Amino acid sequence: MSLRQKLLLLFSLTIAVTVAAVAWIVLLRIRHVFEQRDQEETTLFVSQFQREFQSRSAEVAASVQRIAESDRARAIAVEFAQTGDPAPYVNEAQAMAQEAHLDFLELIAPGGEIVSSAQWPARFGYPEPEAIAQAGASFLKREDLPDGSQALGLFAIHAVRTGDRPLRILGGEKLDPAFLVGLPVAPGMTVGLYADAQSEPAQKPSAEFDSRQFIAADGPVANAAAYKPLILSTLAAGRQSTSILYLTKSREESLNVTAIPLKNKAGQPLAALTVAISRGGMVAAQQQIRTTAYGVASGGMLLAIVFSLWIAARVSRPIEEMARASGAVAAGNWDVTVQERGHDELTVLARSFNHMTAELAAQRERLVQTERVAAWRELARRLAHELKNPLFPLQLTVENLSRARQLPEPEFDEVFQESTRTLGMEIANLKKIIGRFSDFSKMPRPQLERIDAADLVERVRALYATACGENVILQTHVADGPMPLDADPELLYRALSNLVLNAMDAMPNGGTVTISAKPAGSAIELTVGDTGEGLTPEECERLFTPYYTTKEHGTGLGLAIVQSIVADHAGTIAVESHAGSGAKFIISLPMAGA
Amino acid sequence: MPQLPALLAGDEFLISKIQEAKPDGGTGPFQVSGFVNGVLTLSANDFSWQGRPFLDAVQIRVHRAVSDQWMDFVAGRVDLVEVPAERIRQAQQQHLPVVISPPLEVMALQLEDSGALGTPALRSAIGYAIDRGALASVIFQRQGIPAAALLPQNVSGFAFLFSAERDLNKARELRGVGAPPALQLEADGDGAPQLAAQRIVLNLREAGFTVQMARAGAPSSPMRLRLLPIESADPAADLAAMARAAAVALPGFNSDPAAVYRAERDLLDRKTLIPLLDLPRAYAVGTRVRDLQLQSDGMPDLAAVSLEPSR
Repeated sequence: MSLRQKLLLLFSLTIAVTVAAVAWIVLLRIRHVFEQRDQEETTLFVSQFQREFQSRSAEVAASVQRIAESDRARAIAVEFAQTGDPAPYVNEAQAMAQEAHLDFLELIAPGGEIVSSAQWPARFGYPEPEAIAQAGASFLKREDLPDGSQALGLFAIHAVRTGDRPLRILGGEKLDPAFLVGLPVAPGMTVGLYADAQSEPAQKPSAEFDSRQFIAADGPVANAAAYKPLILSTLAAGRQSTSILYLTKSREESLNVTAIPLKNKAGQPLAALTVAISRGGMVAAQQQIRTTAYGVASGGMLLAIVFSLWIAARVSRPIEEMARASGAVAAGNWDVTVQERGHDELTVLARSFNHMTAELAAQRERLVQTERVAAWRELARRLAHELKNPLFPLQLTVENLSRARQLPEPEFDEVFQESTRTLGMEIANLKKIIGRFSDFSKMPRPQLERIDAADLVERVRALYATACGENVILQTHVADGPMPLDADPELLYRALSNLVLNAMDAMPNGGTVTISAKPAGSAIELTVGDTGEGLTPEECERLFTPYYTTKEHGTGLGLAIVQSIVADHAGTIAVESHAGSGAKFIISLPMAGA
Repeated sequence: MPQLPALLAGDEFLISKIQEAKPDGGTGPFQVSGFVNGVLTLSANDFSWQGRPFLDAVQIRVHRAVSDQWMDFVAGRVDLVEVPAERIRQAQQQHLPVVISPPLEVMALQLEDSGALGTPALRSAIGYAIDRGALASVIFQRQGIPAAALLPQNVSGFAFLFSAERDLNKARELRGVGAPPALQLEADGDGAPQLAAQRIVLNLREAGFTVQMARAGAPSSPMRLRLLPIESADPAADLAAMARAAAVALPGFNSDPAAVYRAERDLLDRKTLIPLLDLPRAYAVGTRVRDLQLQSDGMPDLAAVSLEPSR
């Protein structure tokens, strides 16, 4: 992965994570605000609803009080106090309840027995447990009905003031759909009433949930089962509780429901009034905001990526140029420079790099100059040395010949003959020396062709097998199979011959010269080894230096030529030697077609 | 079958074809002359064996609520209206002229002798649990008489065959300690019978029974509050009619008082028909109606009635 890609990825990830985090926090905050607002709205509705409920309770209490203070009730009380006969009033409660628009009404004797009952006329004479309740305040009560059912009602009791033992009026309004219809309901709000269907009011709230007992103003509450946990917990705890109910998996189909326990005088919850407010509008608004936020975030991320691309390109371009320039320097091109832009650290780096390459180039030039001078010096020294050897005999021969001019002719002839022979030999020697230097300077470029290493080894062996003499043994080891090389056969032959001759020179007392060829991976190894005295480590290091020789009359160009030929074939040459165990030259050439 | 003539004269064997009524049909004092919009019109029969009645025609409006009848009566649109037993006291308080018959209707609780009430002791417990006094004095406004026999005293000649007093302890004892079966009670008619049935339910619950009123359309209940009319002055015929109405098979008996007593005793011992109240029939009679007499079945004898001219 390139620097630009890394930078792009880093910038993009950073921006994406930042945008996502900001979006998440914003959405969370919006959701929190919406829900808080929804909760406040629910609380407002619930408190308004509770005020209305209390108002209705007060209305019931007022109705009962009006009945108790009516002339009719007083007349009944007076008559009943005199006669104690409930018979004349058996239907009286019904008429009174009808006039007062109450669902429940009972006239209760001072002893607590029912004199007349609107909801259950046949109950006359039976005791009414709530007869001892304090007058005025309304309360909840579960009322038994003739058909065996029970009805929850909002009751109030009031005494008819006619003496020491007053008649009591117990009246109430049934908490049924009709009651719920009269309550104030805001749009999207549903009021439900769950009356616990237990038989005995003294019992604790039932743990079972009967959805048939859960009614709204327009009949049974839809999705009643969803309310079950909230209602049961409210009834069990006896405290108002609020919860969000999800009717389906969709958040829009959810309700913010507040359950209010309706308790009797003993504080026992008899029913739960639920105020459900739809969260559809709020969720839809949240959804719209979320969609907008996602759109903005996506656009922002896209812009951020484009911007990151630009930034990454701007930041990485000098570094990439620097990397390319470094690669070029590493490849030997020290003349490369990088462009300097601006005044930042990268510009400083580029300037330093340019300065560095310039210095390197200058130093290389100086080194080349130095090496060139040294080479010329070495060449001059070597030439002087090489040429001095034959010149000295030449000088002596010419001086001897000049002195021999005074000798008699026969002797002069003998000296002349000897001198001309010596002059010829030394001149030939000079030509030879000059030819070697000429050869080194005129090293031809290899003419590559497909050859087999085995053929090359065989050609060398065939030449030197007879020239080795009696005390030198030449042996070859060639691996089976093809060992193709794209090489100049003449140059390689020359290189191998040079190595074989060196090996033979290294064994003046005889030994074994071994030539071998074998594949080594994607290369072919050609080895020439001897069993001579071997080389010291210092000699091994300097062996391929031009004009370096360990021979008495060597020019020091043989191994330099071998190394040059091997290098021209994209190969390498190495030497392995240990003192007293001979030396081994290993030429590694790339296998053709590998 | 000694009660055959009385049996055939009963309402349940009445043969009438109102749609085909003709003015010249029948030999009684009145003949059906029309039935239009719920108004049955009877015309005087000039050829009645009793002689021509004083009234030329009688219009009877059927299926009319008692309160509407009373409004018609107070407004002077009718001369005779029914007064249910429980409203006799109210009518009298309103100074309406009321003609009251002797007790001619028996309110009784009919019990199945199988299923949940298959045990005679359980049925007997029900009889002990009911407070007849409250029914008579409050619901029927002292116009009912707690029944201690199937036939009213004015029909049979004897007042009681058992104690009509409520005995709650006895009822609980007979009910036993086990869980009582869930029972339902239905009642004939509406108004006071329904109220009485509700009271009975309360009485039975107090005795430890699990009872509730049968809902409308519910299948037949094991307990049914019935109003059994007394249609003749013959106790044997009345007892036979009661047994028939209660679907109880009684062995044949004649009109001998002792035989009637045994038959009634036998019927009571089965505990399938528990008499509760004897109720009268009553009518509010207009001021211009003269010489209205009630027949032995409590029905007004219109043949002897005459009307004063309207003022």
